[in-house]
Formats: sequence, structure tokens, C-alpha cells
Amino acid sequence: MKIAHYSPMPPEHSGIADYSALLLPALRRRVDVEVIRHGRTRPARDTDLAVYHVGNNPDAHGWIVGALRRRPGVVVLHDFVLHHLVAGLTIGRRDGHGYLDAMEREGGVVGRLLAHGVLDKRIPPLWESRPQEFHLAGEVLALATGLIVHSRHVEERARTAGFEGPIWRIPHPAWPVPELAPERIRGEPLIGSFGNLNSSKRIPQLLEAFGRLRRDRPGARLLLVGAVSPGFDLDRRLQRLGLSGEGILREDYVEEPRLWSLMAACDICINLRAPTMGETSGSVIRQLSLGKPVVVSDVGWFSELSDEVALKIPVGVGEAETLHAALELLARDDGARATMSRAALELARSEHDLDLVAELYAASLEQAAGGEAVAGSVLREVAEAAAEVGIEAGSPEASDLARRLRELELGR
Amino acid sequence: MRIAVCAPQVPFVRGGAEIFTDKLVEELRARGHETALVTIPFKWYPGTKVLSQALLWRLADLEESNGSPIDLVVTTKFPSYCVRHRNKRVWVLHQFRQAYELDRTALGQFGDGPPDRALRRSVQTLDRIALAEAVRLFATSRNVAERIERSTGLVAEVMPHPPQELPYRCEEYGDFVLSVNRLDRAKRIDLLIEAAALDPALRVVIAGEGPDRRRLEGLARERGLNGRIEFSGLADEEKLASLYARCLAVYYAPVDEDFGMVPFEAFLSRKPVLTTTDAGGPLEIVTDRRTGLVTAPEADALAAAAGWLREHRGDAEALGAAGHDLAAQVTWDGCIDRLLS
Repeated sequence: MKIAHYSPMPPEHSGIADYSALLLPALRRRVDVEVIRHGRTRPARDTDLAVYHVGNNPDAHGWIVGALRRRPGVVVLHDFVLHHLVAGLTIGRRDGHGYLDAMEREGGVVGRLLAHGVLDKRIPPLWESRPQEFHLAGEVLALATGLIVHSRHVEERARTAGFEGPIWRIPHPAWPVPELAPERIRGEPLIGSFGNLNSSKRIPQLLEAFGRLRRDRPGARLLLVGAVSPGFDLDRRLQRLGLSGEGILREDYVEEPRLWSLMAACDICINLRAPTMGETSGSVIRQLSLGKPVVVSDVGWFSELSDEVALKIPVGVGEAETLHAALELLARDDGARATMSRAALELARSEHDLDLVAELYAASLEQAAGGEAVAGSVLREVAEAAAEVGIEAGSPEASDLARRLRELELGR
Repeated sequence: MRIAVCAPQVPFVRGGAEIFTDKLVEELRARGHETALVTIPFKWYPGTKVLSQALLWRLADLEESNGSPIDLVVTTKFPSYCVRHRNKRVWVLHQFRQAYELDRTALGQFGDGPPDRALRRSVQTLDRIALAEAVRLFATSRNVAERIERSTGLVAEVMPHPPQELPYRCEEYGDFVLSVNRLDRAKRIDLLIEAAALDPALRVVIAGEGPDRRRLEGLARERGLNGRIEFSGLADEEKLASLYARCLAVYYAPVDEDFGMVPFEAFLSRKPVLTTTDAGGPLEIVTDRRTGLVTAPEADALAAAAGWLREHRGDAEALGAAGHDLAAQVTWDGCIDRLLS
């Protein structure tokens, strides 16, 4: 069996490119895979199934949606909210009508009117101000013959959006931990945050909580790794909170080896997010692999992490206070950090094991490619046998047969 | 208790699994349980037949029989454990191995096309669903338990069962190595024949029948071993016990076997077992230089091991005695207590 694999790939800087690069060697040990080069939307010949990795970035995934339109297939839905992607595919290509139609499809007349407001620049872009209300995943879901998701959150949202096809929930694979020495950085404790610095990563709340922590723990340091998003004035916030001194360490975008070294140096890793687009965090997966206690926002996939590995911070009122309490707890309690560390290593080793994930992928793709033929064959045989002994459609006996088939997932 | 023991039956085929289920029924009855053996013919080919046959088990209503409730069901091989029951105990002899470790080997069943790949996955799905329904899940060996955990995530308790009852005894450490097995390719009896071809002093008796017999006989002829390889066919209980009693050692080296009763039978006859490093389940009780000899799966290694036993009969006796102590610990009393608790 051979699959056509559509995904951003390194050297593109994308979490999904990293994901595919990690997964593919293990997947190729189980299934024949043809990686489709960036930009090619023509269906690949001699492949049994096409698999499309879809995320919210139009530059990385626009061509993949184009390919999906030409040949439906299994979609790996890395983000559920695809508003930014759809805006890029429509407005970004001077196709205002496409955006109006997409918004109407999801939000009815109100959606269309709001889209007009966006096109006329009367209201802020909805992909920034209200992305969760208008996910715009409808077209992708309509074209998908099956979905692979990483979380119950996305599975539930896809079902709520009306997707009726098969959904396979497959954990994000864990990277093998490279043999790199931790960066030598002081901090008691050293707290790390990795990723773009902006409001949706809850950096204001993090800075506020850290400021409080540092009042009682002057040795605490916060390592902020990632680019500052446009419009987010980090320096001014730091000054206002009196954090411009040695308590804060800054690194811009870093390459993978340095990323691991920095993470390895941290005592606690912070991964806040709100709103969530339904994404899974590669950073959190890396941190679990390193056995780091993590603090996350209590939203989406992050909520599904077990309490043994993550402290979860509710979003909204009292967020900074709760975060401060979590940081204080972890700073003071070496035992709690050690327990979380062991649980994190075990979780990464078991649930996020690369071979296990690749096996789940192979199983789902094989079912996607041949499952219908198998189900059809079983149903035909059962139906013929039933008819031969006089069981009629709609009879209680036929219902019993159908129930037993469903129980064993034989026949859809 | 009223107990239904469920086992599939391949018509006209009788092997270790059938002996086991018959014995289980007998032992349950001996302990006062009203017990019935429930079987359904099993055919796993062509195409999706393996699934529709599993469905037959799902349709069976074993909640009650003739107006009286059935208190408990015990199921064994795939697909009998697809049966529904509120008190289902599964004692897995083996899963449908073609869907697992035999896949993409010479012994596999499923091709590389999408329908075959999906069919294999459907068998795995059946296992996941049906085994998860068990009130208690046992595996006949650690090897089987590990396969279940790998494929379904379910943890099975390891519970080997005693071998068939024979008039086990030891009369001598004679001049032949005995193979007791169904004659099919997976049992790897050809390896023993190849070993005999390398050692002119090695005599072999092959007990059992099966579809591979003609090929094996042809191989023995080709190697010029007609005088030293004896195909004794299916042996009755007395004949089998006599072969065990007189042999030097017992050969048992299928590829990644679930468990197999032959090593226990050999041990009860105080005979060491010759097996290979890739034999799977047998390695749980056959330990090199403690209860037998474990060699690489190569004819010359096997020939050397058989030759060593011939030259060291005292050691052969000691290995067999150690195996006997091990086998004596596995009793039906212990198994049934756990099964029903």
C-alpha cells in the first residue's frame, strides 16, 4: 500500500514540518510513502491514499488545501480553527467572494455581513479578534474522507461541526532527546517559556505572576525564548513590572539544538495559550521528553494532559494569581517537581512513543484505504446469508445483526 | 456453576488446542460444575471470511440455555472470545497470528493491497474490543501476554495450563531425538532434518501428522536420511508416552510459538528439550543448560547440541529432572481456582 503525503517539510520553519520529519521514517517502516513536493497539487499517481497535513498557516498549507480539493483524502488536522488559513486562501489571493462564501457557509447571513465588515475594514480581522467563533474548517472537513487528530478537543469540535467520517485520535510523537548538555544558566528556579511572545501566549499574565514570585524569590529567573510578535511591546511591559534587570533572560528564535539545551536547563516550563486553535504543542512534548514539570493553560489539548505532569491554569479572572501560586508551589516543593518529572518521562515514553504513534498511523491509514472494501464484503456476505434464511430488512433479527456488526466495528 | 467453554473448531483438525479444551471441560466437570463445550466451525479464508466467522460467535446467545442461566463462559482461541457474556473469562491460547507476528512472513495471510491491510486491522480491532470485555483475561504464556499487551494495550495474567494426561515415565535416555508436533511449516521440523543430515549419528523420530508431511519426507529422502528419520504418524496415548519414555531428548522449535505443551510433556517424562533462541513461548520454561539446550536456529548448532546430549547422558538426565520439577508445579487445581475466582 502506498500513500501520498502532503505536508510542509524542513527546511521550512514550521512545527508541522518538524512533526512530519519526525514521523516519516517510522511510518515508512510500515507503509510505502511518497512525499509530495511543496506546491504540487496534481494527484499523485499509483498511490492508494492521500494524506494531508493541515494547519492554520496559509503559506505552509495553502497548496495542501489545493491538493485536497483535487483529491479527497485523510486530513491530519493539526489546528481546528482554520480561519487564518482560509483568509489567506481567499482575501490573501484577492478572492473576497471566497471569504464571504466561507463565512456564510459557517455563520449564515450574519457571517457574511461580518465578512463584508472585514473586507471593508470596518471591523478588525476576525481571524485575530474572534477566530474561535468562526473556525472556517467547513470546507476541509467536507473534503476529508477521514480525520487524524491529536486530542479529544479537536475530535469533539469536528463532530460538533458535523463531520461524520472516521476520526482517529493519535498522540503527538515525542522526539528522541538529543545528547546535549543543558545550557548553564543560573536561576532558583529557572522558569522557561518557549514560543512567540504575544498576548495569546499569555505573556502579560506570565510576567505579572513572575514579578510576584520574584518579590519573595529574588533568585528566580525567567527565560523567554522566541520572537516578539508585532504590536506586542515586551520592553515596556517589563519596565512597568520592574523586571528589566537580571531576572529576565531573552533569546530570539533559536535552532533546534539550542532549543533543547535551553529547555534542559529549566526547572519549570510554562506553556500558556488562550484562545486555542485546537493545536498540540511540540514544545510541551519536548519538555515532557526531558522530564520537565509543565504549567499550561486549562484549554483544548492542554487540558487533556494528566494532572500528574501538568499544573493547569484557568484562563480569565485571577489567571495571574493562580499562575503565581503554581510557580510558588513548584519553586518551593522539590518533591512535587521530581514526581512530575518522573510522570512526564513515563508519559513521553509510553503514550507519545514514536513507534507506537507510527503504528497507530499505519493502522488508521490502512483502514482508511481499504476499510470500506472490507466492510462492504462482510456486509454483503452477512446480508446474503440473512436473506437466505428469510431475515428481512427492518426486522428485529436484522436489527440484531446490525447491532452485533457495529459492536465489532464491522461495517459502516 | 453452569459454565460454557467456547472454542472454535477447524473440522477434521485436532491439535493441542482441542486437547486443552476437552481437558478443561473434563476438569471443570470433575469439580462439580455443569459444563458444556460450545464450538463453531472456523474457516479463516478467503477474503473477509475471518471476520464473518467471528460475527457468528458474536451472534451466539450464551446468557442462558434451555431456560437456565449460564453463569460463566470461558473462551480460548480467536474468534471464540468475540462471544458476548456478562461473565466472560478469556484464557487466550493465541490470537489470530497471521494478523500479528506472522504478517509479511512466509506464514502470513494478508497481502500488501489496501483491502488486505484493512482486513488485518479489522482483526486487530476485533481483538481490542472482544478482549477488553473480559472480566478476567489470562494468557497461556508470557509470550502471548506480551503480544496481547503490544497489540491491544490490555494486560493479561499469565497462566500456563498442564499438558495432556499421559502415562508419563522415563525408561532410558535412548539414541533418538523426538519431535512431537503437527507437521506444518511453522513448526520448523525441517530444521531437525537438516541437523540430522549434518550428524550421521543423529536418529530422529517425528510424531504427528499435517500438511507439511510430504515435503518433510521428500527433504529426508533428498538428504539420504531414510534410515535415520522415522515418521511415526499420529501416536495414541500409550505410543506417545512410550516415545517420550525412550528418547534422548525432545525437539521443539516452532517460530515464535505461543507456548506449546510439548516441553511440559517432555519434562514430565524427565527429558530435556532442544529448542532455539527464536522459539518464543517455550523459552519461558526451557532454559539453556538448566532444563534443556537453547541454540541458534541453525542446523549445525542443533546437531552439535544433540551430539552433546548423546555424549553427556548424565547431564541429559539432570536437565530432564530439573524440567520435571518445573512441570509438576502446574496443576489443574491451581488453574481452575484462578480461572473461576
